[in-house]
Amino acid sequence: MKIKKWESLVLLITFIFMGCGSGTKSDNEDVHSRLDTKGLQQFSNGKQLYTRYCQNCHMENGEGLGTLIPPLKDSDYLLNDVAGSARTIKYGLKGPIKVNSIDYNQPMPANPDLTSLEIQELLIYISNAWGNKAEPITLEAVENVVPNQ
Amino acid sequence: MQKKGITLLCVTLILAVTWSCNGNKGAQKLPILGRQEFKEVDGKLDTIYHTIPEFSFYDQDSLEVTLASFEGKVYVADFFFGTCPTICPIMKQQMLRVYDKFKDNSEFGILSHTIDPAHDTVAYLKDFSMRLGVSDSKVWKFVTGDQDEIYRIGSAEGYLVPVGEDADAPGGFIHSGAFILIDKEKRIRGLYDGTKPFEVDALMNDIPKLLAEYED
Repeated sequence: MKIKKWESLVLLITFIFMGCGSGTKSDNEDVHSRLDTKGLQQFSNGKQLYTRYCQNCHMENGEGLGTLIPPLKDSDYLLNDVAGSARTIKYGLKGPIKVNSIDYNQPMPANPDLTSLEIQELLIYISNAWGNKAEPITLEAVENVVPNQ
Repeated sequence: MQKKGITLLCVTLILAVTWSCNGNKGAQKLPILGRQEFKEVDGKLDTIYHTIPEFSFYDQDSLEVTLASFEGKVYVADFFFGTCPTICPIMKQQMLRVYDKFKDNSEFGILSHTIDPAHDTVAYLKDFSMRLGVSDSKVWKFVTGDQDEIYRIGSAEGYLVPVGEDADAPGGFIHSGAFILIDKEKRIRGLYDGTKPFEVDALMNDIPKLLAEYED
C-alpha cells in the first residue's frame, strides 16, 4: 500500500512536468517505411540543404507564407513535376504561378552553386517530407533537366 | 497522518511547478533602452530618455502615418523589403503570430518599414499585406516613403538598428531582423530577434507587461 502511494506520486509529478513541455511529433515518421537506406541518407542530406537554402521562405513546416510564398507541403505544382522543380531550384523563378489553384507572384532566387547531386537530395527531401509522397527522383532525371557544368 | 503529509507534498509540488511554468509574472518593468541624457530641472537631475523622432510615411491604404498614428498605443516596429530572399519571410511569419495575438487590442499596433521604397510602392505593400492575411492598415501598417527618411528613422536617431543599401548583400540591402518594442512615450523598451521564435515568444510575453504599466 505504501509503495502504491509513492508510485502514484511519481506518476503525478511526471504528468505535471509533461504539461510544461510541448509534445512535438515528427511529420516524417512514415518516410522510414517508404525509403530504403540510401533514400533515407539522401532525405537526411536534403533536409540539411533545405534548412540552409529554402527554409527562410518556405518555412520549416513546408507551408510557405500566406499567399505570398507557395507551400511545398501538398503542393500540386511540386508533386506533379518533381523533376521540373530542379529547374526552379537551380535557376529561380519570376512571374506568376498557380499552386493548388492559388496565384502566387513572388520571385524565387536562383541557386546556381548547387550541384545536381545536391538538387537531387533536396528534391527527395521536399517530395517526401511533411506527408508528401513521391518516388525518389534519380540523378539522371535531375541531370536531364539541369545538366551539371 | 502520513496520508496528509503526502497530500501536502503534492499540493506544494503542483504550486511550485505551476509557478515555474508561468515565470515571474508582473515582476519588474521592462528596461528603457538607448542613450540617456541628464538635465537639471529645479535643482534636480532629470533623465531624458531616447525617443523615436517625428516621421511621415504612407501605409498600404495610402494613409499618412506619423508618430501621432500611435498615440496611446504601444507598438512593434521592424524593417524589411518585399523581394528579400533571406530573413524577411520568417520575420513576417513571426510577426503574424504577434499580430494574431494582439490585433484586437486598441492599444497595440505594428509598423513595418520597407527599406526598398523604389520597388515597394503603396500598391505593392497593399498586395503584400493582403497576401499575408492583413486586410487593412488599422493595426499593422506597412509603410513606404522617402528612402533617406526611412534609413534615418532606422539608425541611431530612431530605432537603433542597421539598415541600408549594400550591393554585396543578398537582395541588395542589409537590414537587421530586429523587432523593436516602443511604449506610449515613444521610448524603446525591447529589442528582439524577429527570426527566432523563442525571442518572439519573449516579445509576446513583454507586450502585456508593458501595457500593464499604463493600467493604474
